[in-house]
Amino acid sequence: MERAWIAGEPVALDAAIGEAAKLIAASMQPLIAGLGTDVAGVRAAISLAQRVGGVIDHMHAESLLRNLDVVRSSGVMLTTPTEAEMRADTLLVAGPVPQTGLFQQLVSGSSGRSAGGKARRIFWLCPGRDAATAAAGRNDVKVVGGALRDLPALLAALRARLAGRAVAKTATSIRSLEQLSRDLKASRFGVATWAVAHIDPLAIEMLCGLVDDLNATTRFSTLPLLPADNAVGALHACGWMTGLPMRTGFGRGHAHHDPWLFDSRRLIGGDETDCVIWISAYHAEAPSWPGAPPTVALTADGAAFRVPPRVHITVGVPAIDHAAIHYLPSTGTLAAAAASQPSTRIAVADAISRIAAALPDDGARRC
Amino acid sequence: MLTRLAGGRVIDPANGRDAMGDVWMRDGRIVDAPLQMEPDATYDATGKIVLAGAIDIHSHIAGWNVNTARLLLPEYHRAAMARPATTPLSYAGWSTFEIGCRYATMGFTTVVEPAVSPLYALHAHLELADTPIIDKATLAVLGNDDYLLGLLRGNESEAAIQDYVAWVLEMSRSIGIKVVNAGGAAAFKENLRAFSLDDVVPDYGISSRQIVNALQRAVNKLGVPHPLHVHCNNLGLAGNVETALATIEAAEGLPLHLAHLQFYSYGSEGERGFSSAAARLAAAVNAAAAGVTIDVGQVMFGPTVTASSDVLRQFNARHRARPKKWLILDGDADGAGIVPYDYRRGDFYNAVQWAVGLELFLLVDNPERVFFTTDHPNGAPFTSYPEIFALLMSRDLRAKWIADLPSAAMAVTTLPSIAREYTLPEIAVMTRAAPARLFGLADRGHLGAGAVADVAVYQDDADRAKMFRAAALVFKDGELVVRDGEITRRTWGRALTVAPQRDRAIDRRMKEYYETRYGLPDELFKVPDYALGRPEPFEFVPCRV
Repeated sequence: MERAWIAGEPVALDAAIGEAAKLIAASMQPLIAGLGTDVAGVRAAISLAQRVGGVIDHMHAESLLRNLDVVRSSGVMLTTPTEAEMRADTLLVAGPVPQTGLFQQLVSGSSGRSAGGKARRIFWLCPGRDAATAAAGRNDVKVVGGALRDLPALLAALRARLAGRAVAKTATSIRSLEQLSRDLKASRFGVATWAVAHIDPLAIEMLCGLVDDLNATTRFSTLPLLPADNAVGALHACGWMTGLPMRTGFGRGHAHHDPWLFDSRRLIGGDETDCVIWISAYHAEAPSWPGAPPTVALTADGAAFRVPPRVHITVGVPAIDHAAIHYLPSTGTLAAAAASQPSTRIAVADAISRIAAALPDDGARRC
Repeated sequence: MLTRLAGGRVIDPANGRDAMGDVWMRDGRIVDAPLQMEPDATYDATGKIVLAGAIDIHSHIAGWNVNTARLLLPEYHRAAMARPATTPLSYAGWSTFEIGCRYATMGFTTVVEPAVSPLYALHAHLELADTPIIDKATLAVLGNDDYLLGLLRGNESEAAIQDYVAWVLEMSRSIGIKVVNAGGAAAFKENLRAFSLDDVVPDYGISSRQIVNALQRAVNKLGVPHPLHVHCNNLGLAGNVETALATIEAAEGLPLHLAHLQFYSYGSEGERGFSSAAARLAAAVNAAAAGVTIDVGQVMFGPTVTASSDVLRQFNARHRARPKKWLILDGDADGAGIVPYDYRRGDFYNAVQWAVGLELFLLVDNPERVFFTTDHPNGAPFTSYPEIFALLMSRDLRAKWIADLPSAAMAVTTLPSIAREYTLPEIAVMTRAAPARLFGLADRGHLGAGAVADVAVYQDDADRAKMFRAAALVFKDGELVVRDGEITRRTWGRALTVAPQRDRAIDRRMKEYYETRYGLPDELFKVPDYALGRPEPFEFVPCRV
């Protein structure tokens, strides 16, 4: 059974839907944030945002767009998780990396299965405090550099040495730079990886440039570790429905993308929105900002709010409570998943469709 | 609901009709003129041209490559023009919503997305399900995939290859098979940087020619109506006409479709070592067996983006991107490359490319075997079609364009000397009757009784670009969807797909293969009906028995 509340008081789902519609209809600038939901949920959310002139953002937009900014301003070689797992003989890790499933798979994978069965060589640049765990069960990980703050200089020096240019003294010795440069050039298929949440765009761009340079003589690619909560699936759905990523507003009557202007936290801090629709179906997560305007929360069961939202509806978890399509980190594709424990909890897409159906039929509102 | 379209010039070459008259529609189909019955609705088509809805056989409108291009080029949207106002997200730029509406506005009612990696089939179909009005179909890309190359290396039977191809068609819900630079992506994985028809893929020991021939035979034996769709090796390189000629020869009498041949019609003559070889190639097409067809991939000037599964070619072209950004995907089988490009009028090479495309159109005699494409968005966006129709239909208009282009470029082509002008019936063959036949769509591309009531009505205007840019009326499944170039109703089309017979033992083999190779269930890559959220997402096209 779904559960629903208005101002912390349990109510029937219909009442919560009606109250949510009332809030959204009265809003001058609705914001759809969080957006942790499957493709159907994202599609419904974008359609709603378009109808009410709202803004669409995702809880992981910051790090996702940091990576995308490099892609849309320079050149990037990219590979897939399965291809990296299958063929990489060299892994170049940059910066601290959380020990997520995909990363574990890459590190612990004995080798590229089609790379002759030899152990995959792992080089780790500036693992920071993760140095202790950098080994990840392997005792042959070659660590170069230490603190994360040294990463940009290390990458720049490495790239310069690779190109045969002289470099000034850095925290890393010239000798180890040259050794690393030789090792990378000797790979047959190398893959550079980093957690997009942890390193800055200039370091990402330098890494991508380094990988491009390595392709002058060998094969090298990248595999950024991307955020969860179907952030990539949401990015793609935004892409095909609007032509643009998230952090897009429809208030002008057309899709307008601006990563600064439509940042949820900034909109709330600047008092520029008067109604928030917060979506977190994968985790029972409440928004982290204090003192938000009236909020309609669609979350997995158990989200703890400091102040009860105006409307709260417990929704099903994609691929657990209901069948779903979402981004699969292990394949790098959108994939369909059946419900592992089917329940009658309402899906985000259905909740939003019902809210949209309860809105007064004034078409797209225009200021 | 009985609808009469009255008094237009009906051009329906598939049924030998070119005369003033009526077209009748009932319940989504074309019907013969009924006796003594009053229509529920009548539309006046006096002074107008009535054609079947157009079919685009090769346009990259959906999937990971296209969507990545969108995300790579946010600045392309800002320059976008106003959208049809009644659609959702109608000002959104280059979205699926806009693509469907813009195609419909030009009188196109069926579009084939020609390059879907089977692993990304669900993604492509999700986008297609969000593309309004038009029907669509996908070609699944094979030829650099380990399973097929493994079958060939292992000298497996033709039946084993057919079963695999049939399995891929069904799991990816495709209408046919495309091969992209056969073996080229697999060779690039082993650090080869060039790959031709008789080069051999390392490790597998199979030549590009063997891959093309094996897939061609399998598609043919399975009775899939659309012949193997081939993107040849050496795209874009000077002198690559030899590759195209050799590929035509390699067809060995079996049906074969060669995609965007403009990009393969280059000689290496002249001061810059780059010239048109379109006349030579067109002559070879004219002389080839009946089942050999081509589409053009016309270049038009302006900024666009090249989005291709030919990862080797895109990799080699990446540093020539305009603007300077690009993305190359080292994918599981074919991979992809997104490289923005700006075709410039003043650029010698771009001007030659423009002329080469038109030469192919005009020098292939039979409009049934040369298909109208820009390889959208690679040669030009599909929104440039009206201008291309106009160029094909007027020698004077071509002369005006030629006068503005670098004379050195025109001098290495035959275009200035070509007098041919396409007629409306020839346009109808090239964009309606022939594409329907090429894909086995018996109830499309014509206006005979029983056909799907997809009809495009144009004002007969001497300004052909204006005429084709905005149809006067468009009917999709008998419903009016466009009037005077404006969308009046947004419907959701279907994806056309084939499901040839196969030995079901392949299903178990594929399950094992995915589990052994990837440690993943093959189910992850299938396209379930429920995923698309439309009541009837698919329509099956019968295979030859």
